[in-house]
Amino acid sequence: MAEKKKTTKKTETKKQDVKKEAPVKQEAKKQAPAPAAKATAAPGATTRQEARIGVFICHCGTNIAGSMDIPAVEAYAKTLPNVAYVDNYKYMCSMPGQTVINKAIKDNKLTGVVVAACSPRLHEPTFRTATKEGGLNPFRFEMANIREQNSWVHMHDREGSTEKAKDAIRIAVAKAALLQDLFPKTVPVEKAAMVVGAGVAGMQAALDLAAAGIKTYLIESDMSIGGRMSQLDKTFPTLDCSQCILTPKMVDVGRSENIELMTWSEVDAVEGYIGNFDVTIRKKARGVLTPKEAEAKGIVGGGCNGCGDCEVVCPVVKPNDFEMGMKPRKAIYINHPQVVPLIYTIDFNSCIKCGLCVTACGPEKKAIDLEMKDEFVKVKVGTAILATGYDIFPIEKKEEWGYKRFENVITSLEFERLICASGPTGGHLVRPSDGETPKRVAFVLCAGSRDNTGVGKPYCSRFCCMYSLKHAHQIYEKIPGAQTYLMYMDIRSFGKMYEEFYYRIQDEGAKFVRGRVANILEDPVTKNLHVYTDDTLLDRPLDLEVDLVVLAAAVEPKADTNRTRKLFGVSCSMDGWLLEAHPKLNPCGTTTAGVFLAGVCQGPKDIPDTVASAEGAASAASIPIHKGEVELEPYFAMCIEEKCAGCGMCVNLCPYSALSLVEKEGRKVMQVTEAKCKGCGTCGGFCPGGAIWMNHFATPQVVAQIDAFLLGGEQ
Amino acid sequence: MAEAPEAKYKFAFYLGCIAPNRYPGVESASIKAMKKLGVELVPLKGASCCPAPGAFGSIDLNVFYAMAARNLVLAEEMKMDIALVCNGCYKSIWEVNHKLKHNKDLRDNVNEVLKEIDKEYKGTINVYHTAELLYNDKFIGVQKVRDSVTNPLKGARVAVHYGCHLVKPHKDREFEKEVMLNTEHPTWMEELVAALGATPVEYRNKMQCCGAGGGVRGYDIVHSLDITNEKLINLKEAKADALTDICPFCQLQFDRGQIEIQEKFGVTYNLPVLHYAELLGLAQGMSPQDLGLDLHGISCEPFLQKVL
Amino acid sequence: MARTKGYPEALEKKLRDQRYYREDSDPEFLKKVRGISRTVAHMCYQCGTCTGSCPSAPRSTYRIRKFMRRAVLGLENEALTDPDLWLCTTCYSCSDRCPRDILPTDVIMAMRNLAFKRDIVPVNFLKTVQAIYSSGHGVPNNDVNRAARERLGLTRDPPTTHMYPEYIKGIQKILDHYKLKANADRIVKEREG
Repeated sequence: MAEKKKTTKKTETKKQDVKKEAPVKQEAKKQAPAPAAKATAAPGATTRQEARIGVFICHCGTNIAGSMDIPAVEAYAKTLPNVAYVDNYKYMCSMPGQTVINKAIKDNKLTGVVVAACSPRLHEPTFRTATKEGGLNPFRFEMANIREQNSWVHMHDREGSTEKAKDAIRIAVAKAALLQDLFPKTVPVEKAAMVVGAGVAGMQAALDLAAAGIKTYLIESDMSIGGRMSQLDKTFPTLDCSQCILTPKMVDVGRSENIELMTWSEVDAVEGYIGNFDVTIRKKARGVLTPKEAEAKGIVGGGCNGCGDCEVVCPVVKPNDFEMGMKPRKAIYINHPQVVPLIYTIDFNSCIKCGLCVTACGPEKKAIDLEMKDEFVKVKVGTAILATGYDIFPIEKKEEWGYKRFENVITSLEFERLICASGPTGGHLVRPSDGETPKRVAFVLCAGSRDNTGVGKPYCSRFCCMYSLKHAHQIYEKIPGAQTYLMYMDIRSFGKMYEEFYYRIQDEGAKFVRGRVANILEDPVTKNLHVYTDDTLLDRPLDLEVDLVVLAAAVEPKADTNRTRKLFGVSCSMDGWLLEAHPKLNPCGTTTAGVFLAGVCQGPKDIPDTVASAEGAASAASIPIHKGEVELEPYFAMCIEEKCAGCGMCVNLCPYSALSLVEKEGRKVMQVTEAKCKGCGTCGGFCPGGAIWMNHFATPQVVAQIDAFLLGGEQ
Repeated sequence: MAEAPEAKYKFAFYLGCIAPNRYPGVESASIKAMKKLGVELVPLKGASCCPAPGAFGSIDLNVFYAMAARNLVLAEEMKMDIALVCNGCYKSIWEVNHKLKHNKDLRDNVNEVLKEIDKEYKGTINVYHTAELLYNDKFIGVQKVRDSVTNPLKGARVAVHYGCHLVKPHKDREFEKEVMLNTEHPTWMEELVAALGATPVEYRNKMQCCGAGGGVRGYDIVHSLDITNEKLINLKEAKADALTDICPFCQLQFDRGQIEIQEKFGVTYNLPVLHYAELLGLAQGMSPQDLGLDLHGISCEPFLQKVL
Repeated sequence: MARTKGYPEALEKKLRDQRYYREDSDPEFLKKVRGISRTVAHMCYQCGTCTGSCPSAPRSTYRIRKFMRRAVLGLENEALTDPDLWLCTTCYSCSDRCPRDILPTDVIMAMRNLAFKRDIVPVNFLKTVQAIYSSGHGVPNNDVNRAARERLGLTRDPPTTHMYPEYIKGIQKILDHYKLKANADRIVKEREG
């Protein structure tokens, strides 16, 4: 950095002397390499006239202007070669700001536009439009980031940030002088969508898409749709029965003509791009034929009808994951009575292939096939929504609370199953150690959330406060004379009617102890638990003896998030959740066009927020489909055939399989499938013959930027 | 390192204060028992107090670092890693070694002082607690400890006091992170107790502090003993025949502390308290006299009658 | 900092505790504590995990959470003159469990270091210093133990500074470098005459 600064300063003084005549000379020099390339490659290139660049410096209120000397930057920009016009404005992105650009282009016959403002991720589209409205090709626009990468990080270094802004503008101008007209390609969009994950988010998104007339593939890795919500007993703050409000949706999904439901299935591979995703789905062998599949095999009137005769005879007993292992299941099973679709599934990891189920199923249905293998299905979709949900943080890692060491320490999800009428105890909350009804119950909030130790999660899991309040209510509903204690740091009841719910539960008798639980010890005889904390409001260390402890364990991204991320080319944020395109303004989009996020896979959400997010994602995902075609950024690579030696090394390097070798005039040359190319530049950077032209990031353009940076404007 | 045929490892044996000056059996048992397990403990000439982390750390951490560094330098000059038998010493010697290795500013400060006595801390050695050497397969391991037993301590119910400074703070302790995994409910010492033929017993809140540390024993003896008393109540409930520890300072607090508790609170426990080295010595056939068990404040007789 | 106008001194003294930033608070205190403790003391969110973990808390008025609060607010005088400061047994249970990854134990140690600079220190800490200055050991040998050592086949004095007193000089130089012995002697004399 120090090295670079010196160069800048030195050259600045020099420039004072030469600036008057310099532009003309440079013009001639800089233009030299472009035509050659243009002639061979750039298809839409117009005849190059003298570059006349307009530079527009944004104050962004005080975001930029507060940390640098705008007049100095402006004065400097005026000295740069090819610069024909310089202006500044308080908010360049505002309508008046855009008008400044529009007018300047016309008045000064500009050939290129540089806006020095925020990140192109925010306003590149805005200024491209402004450039277009001024009568130029929108790709004649270049952005200099002087906010995120400058004023915000060098807030207290006015001189330094001013110099850095000068550098950024000089570099952008150098590129803008060499920019060419580019014309985006449009590609048709397949009129189908895919939703991955069929919890409440995935179901809602699929129902919305289907209702909008879009064929939707709903992929679920489990045997049934419904997800986490189907494991819950009641929902806050309305106290609706979770299953009662969920099952109508599940039935709708099962019935919808536009939804092709694939349970016990996983996405195996994704190829292509927005509008044209080719998705391979692995249908895991479930060992049981649906009526449809049976019919396809010529077994008329056969296939699974959900009678359950097979389950009765199966000799293998395993813990049921849906019931958090608190109830047994067989090797052939449905994990709860309300599964959709009602098709039995064989857990081949535990099946001993004794064949008793086959006999029980009988020769009419012939639904069971113990030799079934995984199948692969290919579908084509225009857009995809990821709704892959979450896992519960393995709270036994926080050793101090003794989960898995003390029988009467349970998690909230276990509590849901124990209090649920369809659960393992028929809705009777009992202590796992002795089956007794607990009278004193402590809820440990923030169990593994808001934890910076590296063991737990640094974020707030967002719905634990509310469901713990609900749990306290359910105890008062079912156990007369019970006492609940909520051990909390803050009660976060931020949603509609949530604070009112907090009021109600306090009114019902819940005691709130403002202290994070330090540790829990078990009385070895009674199996009661001693909860240690600091009642910070009383300023008193507390040893609270209770019958049952419920840990409101943090939520965490699904274990296979990384796989999902790679399949769909989306990113993760620091905390491991899938990354949205913009946290506020594009919460459902991702950095990959055509791929959207719904529900908790993007970050912790309660049910209302999850459903809202799902509807947002469905709406966003339907837009390209309804439009029927999408524009692709014209950043694709191009082969300069005269220079191409046909070595083919680039073909294997391409991460998007966009390149191939073809015969042309008796020799092999590389060819780019433009729609597949993402313009990453891997091939262009590598090509030993310099035969690949990267549109909008062409070698002469990049070299000009580097020169402008290193030489500080010198030639 | 020139090695005696049977000694696979050689360590500079850092004694500290309480082991050699109050419970010499810990010293003699460590030397003899470890030798049988292929570890030679060589005297660390001229070592001093570690210095006491509670006392010195509270007054001036710079002095604490410099004093501990002097002890480390003595071992560096011998070109030997240090082995020690006390959690308090581990806090001083291991932790200062760790901090100095990873922080140049601290190291420079310390060396400025050491220069006055013609010494320089270089950061060339490692520090181990003997309990760590015994448990870790890399050095000895539980199986070898079990194999060395000639007089299994059958029928004795032995509870473990882990103490604090060997295992906590968890985030700093490499040994603890790699081998022991947690500080809330470790069981590795119980494995070592079982290897001697005794029955390890669990008791309520076993990871609680003995109450002696941080200078509290000297500052407010009644407060300090009140913590010890809580542990003794829990140990009595668990019907332990003896308590074993890996820290002579904890041992002092439990052993002499019982006499003080008797005087101050009027409660009698008579719970024998033995350092694991003493226990290991017994199991390898050393006599109670060879171990100086008669020097203990609380008679070990009832326990010895069970196991001998 | 502004004094309430017109109240008599007695009332003024009573009302003083309402104000965080009073004459005896020092914004530099937090910085000093952080520097010595090498932990992120300012990140405490007062959850109480530390006090809930503390073996000293249930049997005294010692509240480590309060000391963390005083560090955050720069209440130097209040922290350093509180006799509870010396009730931490340094068991590090709070440090193991702190969800903000702070080492409250080391914050206490830092405060004790700062207290010592103001001659606030219990005498027993100084007596350990004096013992080590003269013998190299905090708990020195005695004749009963020497006899026992001999019986166990050990040297009468352990091979430490006890057996090699020539090493004590170096220890004294280190302690003198920090003027620790002189300060200890002075304070003990002031207290005990």
